[in-house]
Amino acid sequence: MRRAPVLFLAIAITLLAAAPASADISDTAVKAAFIPKFARYVTWPPAAPARTAGQMVLCIIGDDPFGATLNQAASSQSVDGRPFVIKRLSSAAGSGDCAIAFIDGSHAGETLSALGRQPILTVTDARSSSARGVIHFAIVGGRVRFFIDNAQAQARGLTISSRLLALAIGVNQR
Amino acid sequence: MRAFRNPLREWRAAPAAIFLVAVAILAAGFAIILQNEVTFRANRDRQAQVAAQVLAGSVTAAVDFNDPAASQQAVDAFRVNPQVRYVGVFDRSGRVLGAYDRAARSALVDLARLPPPPESNYRVAVPIESAGQRIGTVIYEVQREALSRRLTRYLTLGALAVMAALVIFTLGMAQAALRRANDELSERAEALGQANELLAEQMEERAKAEDQLRQSQKMQALGQLTGGIAHDFNNLLTVIQGSADILSRDDLADDRRKRFARAIVQAAENAAVLTSQLLAFARRQPLKPELVDLSTLVASMTELLDRTMGERIRIETSLGISCPVTVDRNQLQSAVLNVASNARDAMPDGGTLAIAVSNVPSGSGERMSAIAISDTGSGMDVETASRIFEPFFTTKMTGKGTGLGLSQVYGFATQSGGDVLVESEPGKGTTVTILLPCSDAEVVAEAKLEDAEVPQQARAEILVVEDNEDVGHFAETLLSELGHSVTLATSGEEALELTRARDFDLVFSDVVMPGMGGLRLSEQLAEEKPDLPVILATGYSQEIAQSGSGGRPVILKPYRLATLSQALVDAMSASGK
Repeated sequence: MRRAPVLFLAIAITLLAAAPASADISDTAVKAAFIPKFARYVTWPPAAPARTAGQMVLCIIGDDPFGATLNQAASSQSVDGRPFVIKRLSSAAGSGDCAIAFIDGSHAGETLSALGRQPILTVTDARSSSARGVIHFAIVGGRVRFFIDNAQAQARGLTISSRLLALAIGVNQR
Repeated sequence: MRAFRNPLREWRAAPAAIFLVAVAILAAGFAIILQNEVTFRANRDRQAQVAAQVLAGSVTAAVDFNDPAASQQAVDAFRVNPQVRYVGVFDRSGRVLGAYDRAARSALVDLARLPPPPESNYRVAVPIESAGQRIGTVIYEVQREALSRRLTRYLTLGALAVMAALVIFTLGMAQAALRRANDELSERAEALGQANELLAEQMEERAKAEDQLRQSQKMQALGQLTGGIAHDFNNLLTVIQGSADILSRDDLADDRRKRFARAIVQAAENAAVLTSQLLAFARRQPLKPELVDLSTLVASMTELLDRTMGERIRIETSLGISCPVTVDRNQLQSAVLNVASNARDAMPDGGTLAIAVSNVPSGSGERMSAIAISDTGSGMDVETASRIFEPFFTTKMTGKGTGLGLSQVYGFATQSGGDVLVESEPGKGTTVTILLPCSDAEVVAEAKLEDAEVPQQARAEILVVEDNEDVGHFAETLLSELGHSVTLATSGEEALELTRARDFDLVFSDVVMPGMGGLRLSEQLAEEKPDLPVILATGYSQEIAQSGSGGRPVILKPYRLATLSQALVDAMSASGK
């Protein structure tokens, strides 16, 4: 009995995924879904705002390719009962309380430099930027995948779960 | 005695206990198998659950980030376990992310289209959770171990239990059988003991019965003996009394007086034979043993035997070489005559009497001389043959035999250290063999038979010692008749005093007397007056029969005038008077 709605949902999603929608839109949605999930496989240093604040601040710095999609994805996620709050910034200024920062746009490299060594999980996208954050999205085999710069993560005081590392296309070790 | 037990109950109780133990072992064995199976199933289920959970944990990130390659990699790790039949990782919507199917049945099929597991497989479904949310499902399927394989695994244990039960049962049965055998054995031993007691009782009873029988036989024999003696003596006494009555008449003619006197003498002689035979049977006659050669003795008896046997019986003698024997010659002659007269009576129509003398080795290796006397007469049955030595037992008509003849033969032979054998069969004659032990001494020439005439002799002073007054006076009369002067003493002590008071030429003493007897008197006189000759007279003396007379002449009562006279002459001449 309980299976029926699950089954229905599964079929609906499958049909949806198979629909001839724009690849960009689909990839962006996947990335939007991925970004809050990364929080589960990352451990911030104890003094970081990601640990101390009552909410997880997800910052979009520069261009915002997601729009409402990210808000939607983040609203269904939480970390240790703390909900996500989306904060859109144009530069590194005001990024002090960010736990995760998606950095996009032409000034992505500068922004990354400006963030220095703050304990922020930085995420970049190969589609729009050559600068690499701790996690760097790429499309491989038609699917959204990512690189992980473990050295940068450690420099920022972050610990990344091996389960996440196992999914990376490549891991930059120190 | 062992304590009272109920063997039946024991026998029944033992196998029941054994049976229970065997059943308990079997039950325990099967309980262990069952427990094993239950544990095994629980283990298997738990292992499958754990494996699925481990997988679910490891693929959380892969499912989170929708990574089929990583999911497939995690799934492929289970290939190495041959029992794993299917592993599948599905996302929240049931889309397959990674799957491994050993049978290649349904690889990479979404959850909705996944077929149900076959009967031989066990399937668990575990949710994949991330941050408290269900993000997917892991399906894990292992092959159940086949029943036959499980049974094979349990067969060893089962067989062990069965074997243990069998061993217990067998041992128990053996133990029970042993106990039963033991019980039977002790019962038998008891029965044997009882049988033994019974046997001992029966033996005792039989011994008692035999004693009683012997006693009654003894009384019977004694009655027969006394009756026989009374009968024979009454006959003789009738003759003597009658003759004496007639002799006491005054007007009796001389020839008739002599005839009746001879009748008395004859009766007395018969009576003397009777008593001597009785004594011979009783083995208490005073024997005068001398060396005798049996062949010579039989040869000297042929004329006498011829006369005794009569004309219709032929006598054959076979006188072989035999060793000399030391016996009483007269008794031996009597024995031969007794056997011969029995043989004659057994052959009323004539026949052959065979007498054979030979040496025979006896059973103990001692050499024996034998006189075998055979007849061709009527023979005897076993019953008769077994009784012929009993005194007064006779098969002859009343008055024809005394029943003492063979008793004398038996008494004489046994008293002389020998034996008598009787072989007989009805219609086939009888052989009586007298066995006598060989003597080491040499035979001397046979002395001449004494003349019955009364020898002449000088007058002598004779002391007669006799406690019986009648016999004393009779002796006095006889000696006076012979011309001697006689003094009468009635005891040994009186005689001793008389010999001290005056001189006598000879003492004639009875042996058996109250107080000092003849033997002690003669010994005393030998010390005091060694030159005084002593003659002893006795009817029967145990002392003389046992230890002899110490070389002194002995005359047997009843004695006759000639015997007494000869003894006097011999004694006087021996002492040089």
